[in-house]
Amino acid sequence: MSDAESPSDDFEPIEVFPDEETPDLRPGADDCYKCSTCDTNCPVAEVDDDFPGPKFQGPEQWRLKRKEDASVDDSISKCSNCMRCDSACPSDVGLSQMHNTARAEYVEEELSKTSLTYWRNRILANYRTSAFLASKVPRIANFAMNFGPARWAMEKTLGVTSEREFPEFATETFREWWERQGGADGSRERAREARERRGEDVDADKRVAYFHGCYANYNTPEVAKSLVRVFEHFGYELVVPEQRCSGTPMFANGMLDDAERHAEVNVSSMGDLIEQGYDAIASCTSCSMALRQEYPELFDIDGIEDVAENTWEALEYLRVQEDLSGELAGAEVEDEHLASLAYHAPCHARNQGLDGQALELFDDLAGVDAEDVGDSCSGISGTYGWKEEKYETSMKIGEEMFDHMEDAEGEVGMTECPTCAMQMEHGTGYEIRHPLEVVAAALT
Amino acid sequence: MGTRTEVLVIGGGSTGCGVVRDLARRGVDTTLVEKGTLTNGTTGRMHGLLHSGGRYAVSDQASARECIEENRVLRDIAGHCVEETGGLFVKRPEDDEEYFQEKLQGCRDCDIPAEVLTGAEAREREPYLAKDVEKAIAVPDAAVDPFRLCVANAVDAENHGARVETHAEVTDLLVEGGEIVGAEVTHESGKGPREHGTPGEVEEIYADHVVNAAGAWAGRIGDHADLDVAVRPSKGVMTVMNTRQVDTVVNRCRPKGDADIIVPHETACILGTTDEEVGDPEDYPEEEWEVDLVIDTLSELVPILQEARTLRSFWGVRPLYEPPGTGTQDPTDITRDYFTLDHEERDAVPGMTSIVGGKLTTYRMMAESITDHVCEKLGVSATCDTADAPLPGSERPGDLEAAMERFGLRSPVARRSAQRLGSRTEDVLASCDPNPVVCSCEGVTRAEVRDAIDDSGTDLNAVRIRTRASMGNCQGGRCAHRMAAELHPEHDEATARAALDELWAERWKGQRHALWGEQLSQAMLNRAIHGATMNRDNDPARTDDAVDWDAFDGGRSDAGEGEVGEEGIHGD
Repeated sequence: MSDAESPSDDFEPIEVFPDEETPDLRPGADDCYKCSTCDTNCPVAEVDDDFPGPKFQGPEQWRLKRKEDASVDDSISKCSNCMRCDSACPSDVGLSQMHNTARAEYVEEELSKTSLTYWRNRILANYRTSAFLASKVPRIANFAMNFGPARWAMEKTLGVTSEREFPEFATETFREWWERQGGADGSRERAREARERRGEDVDADKRVAYFHGCYANYNTPEVAKSLVRVFEHFGYELVVPEQRCSGTPMFANGMLDDAERHAEVNVSSMGDLIEQGYDAIASCTSCSMALRQEYPELFDIDGIEDVAENTWEALEYLRVQEDLSGELAGAEVEDEHLASLAYHAPCHARNQGLDGQALELFDDLAGVDAEDVGDSCSGISGTYGWKEEKYETSMKIGEEMFDHMEDAEGEVGMTECPTCAMQMEHGTGYEIRHPLEVVAAALT
Repeated sequence: MGTRTEVLVIGGGSTGCGVVRDLARRGVDTTLVEKGTLTNGTTGRMHGLLHSGGRYAVSDQASARECIEENRVLRDIAGHCVEETGGLFVKRPEDDEEYFQEKLQGCRDCDIPAEVLTGAEAREREPYLAKDVEKAIAVPDAAVDPFRLCVANAVDAENHGARVETHAEVTDLLVEGGEIVGAEVTHESGKGPREHGTPGEVEEIYADHVVNAAGAWAGRIGDHADLDVAVRPSKGVMTVMNTRQVDTVVNRCRPKGDADIIVPHETACILGTTDEEVGDPEDYPEEEWEVDLVIDTLSELVPILQEARTLRSFWGVRPLYEPPGTGTQDPTDITRDYFTLDHEERDAVPGMTSIVGGKLTTYRMMAESITDHVCEKLGVSATCDTADAPLPGSERPGDLEAAMERFGLRSPVARRSAQRLGSRTEDVLASCDPNPVVCSCEGVTRAEVRDAIDDSGTDLNAVRIRTRASMGNCQGGRCAHRMAAELHPEHDEATARAALDELWAERWKGQRHALWGEQLSQAMLNRAIHGATMNRDNDPARTDDAVDWDAFDGGRSDAGEGEVGEEGIHGD
């Protein structure tokens, strides 16, 4: 026998264990030949000598495990789920899948369900629930969440760092605004007008389902509004289906059951639309990453592959479907604020091969000068940097990015990821914008 | 200038180690000599199955009964060497139903607990079993670590006053007046634990009785006194897979055949085997078709094996024996039973008894019966207690869990160490601080490596079999040199280098049979690290020139402050 030709792609650990909660990932350890490239690309390992790194967390730990073993090493909670190891690996080892699964097993088997850490993590991971409540009374929430004594108490009892400012809740959520704009019906009309204006077939089949994620809905509706304006400009009809959290913060906290409940809703509503010919788009790179990669790796939900295959990051979609760079090359941005931008590529954008796209797009855009601040990780990684015990690590990782931002020409930052934006703002005091806002400023 | 001992045991495999332990515990002054490391011959080249007896339940019920009895004994006395995996005899559609029923009945006749599982139930236990496996018989097979088992026997023997010499080859038998009175032994590097570079010496060891437990080499020993011990060595291949595709021993339920067993062993699975008679136990062809055969055939039971990564393959030789005149043609028909050849009765040459045949599972029982035989000759009346006395490492089964809790090691690493060390865990792990991981594939820490070095000198292959360091998926690529570094400062650079070369050569030997797919990438990475980065393929230290140490700078004078010392770092 010889398997010199690469092994078939049929093997899918989840299919082997249809009734098991956690897949057996030991066979995946076969592909790791210990080159350690993952370790050299891990931002946590770079600043924390006690962290054994992705190679140990993933293939080594899985290989050392026996099926009945429960003890996953507790260092797994030091992994921030940036997923850089995935793209670093030359042999396609499913490192983040191994980490996510190990973390879930650790939380399930070894973290006390009555501990404050568990509940702190659970509250942080279920940001959508808190945001939903806060958005009902945004002004009070904004005051209360950043009220000094309350924050002191949160740090002391729950271990949520008081160093950071909670993001502001918008006084009107994106979905409220969307309804005010007439929802899907309004969008259809505006899209038809745009197609007519552009000289395209008025009845063209240009339909997308927008996965806005929690943050664009509750905190930065201006990003979501920009997306709507840009897509309608190109003649796309949008729908904003029912959706829950993408699950990213839950993966990172080992709360796979929570994540699966949310994923089921998302896969079902996005799946229905995809069946009707829609494509799914997201403005948050962690959300698109979850739908595209993490869902099919971790869950066995009907229709999950279809959703994964038809999900796109918003600008990526337009670059493929439309002459986005052509239109941008002929456009100009007059907003002084956007004249000079310090751009940071989020790790999850990097993993989808999207790290260069914003810079490329804005190269020929008059009035905008976007500068890359390097390939370091911002360090916040969603809920990671919010934990009191991780705050320092998170800031150490971010240091390189802060320095490069300050070194860059612009005083305004730009990134696709909402938590990277938090970290950029926290570390430099800069205002942070989303590339979609720049595109919207140029085209609409 | 000879030395004296009551009994000289030749051979450091399971039989020899079992015999020396039993004799020592009965108060007999005993010396064991082994030409390589312990387990160097057949024992270290087996698949690690602790038989339930199910395998012999149709063909050889006497053996089956012995197996189940000893299986139970070893779980008691050698808990840290045995992993209770359970075993399955699985039946595919093309396998004979009648044989399945015979197997089941055979197990019941021999008092082997046996339970019939449906295909679905079997797959619930082992999800990677082929979808068309129809049913299975579950039996109490287990996995045993032959290295750990032999070392524990030898250590117990030493604790009871025996002398154990490895790398001590018998180069002649001492015969006086038609009687064997001892052996001439050539030490590779002097007496005691092996040290590379120390000159060898020849020692004449006189004994009241000699036990020839050299297994497939027993005939060679006999030759020294013109005794005809007709061992028929039969080779078999074993292929090591990178991960545990199964956690249960999987046997194919059909009459004897090649390639019908998968044994989970520590972090790996071992596939076996073939059965081919060879002329010389040390020089026989290691053929690729044998590797292909085991992978292809066993993939019928566990299809994922077809695309899994193969780490290496190794061959062992069975010391098969048949009494003269049986004339069996096919080696698979030769009995696996053992024979005691008292050369006084058989050849009228007193002073030596040869042991041939047998299998690892019943090594203790064999040792007991041989020891009884020798004791009778010597007039020793002490009785055997090896079935009840735990081996070193297995005295206090509860210690394992407690010790695992105590050490600040990464959990899977601590658990692995504790499983290897058993009740010695605390003593060994507490001996070293800091205690970093030396071999990350197998989770072996510095403490274990140093403990093994204390025991076996500069022989890194002996360290390997005691710890499993360098037996994982990089096959020593990332740890062989770290293991060698642990020899310093007790041993000098040249000694460490010689020890590293020897280990590296041994690791490379088996990998030659696995150079495709991921293991080929691994080999290339290993070559890049060792050949290029460490310059071991063109090493100035082994060319005629001495190393020009002055060409190196003094390094940083104060690493803590991160400043470059006065010597500076040239051409950064």
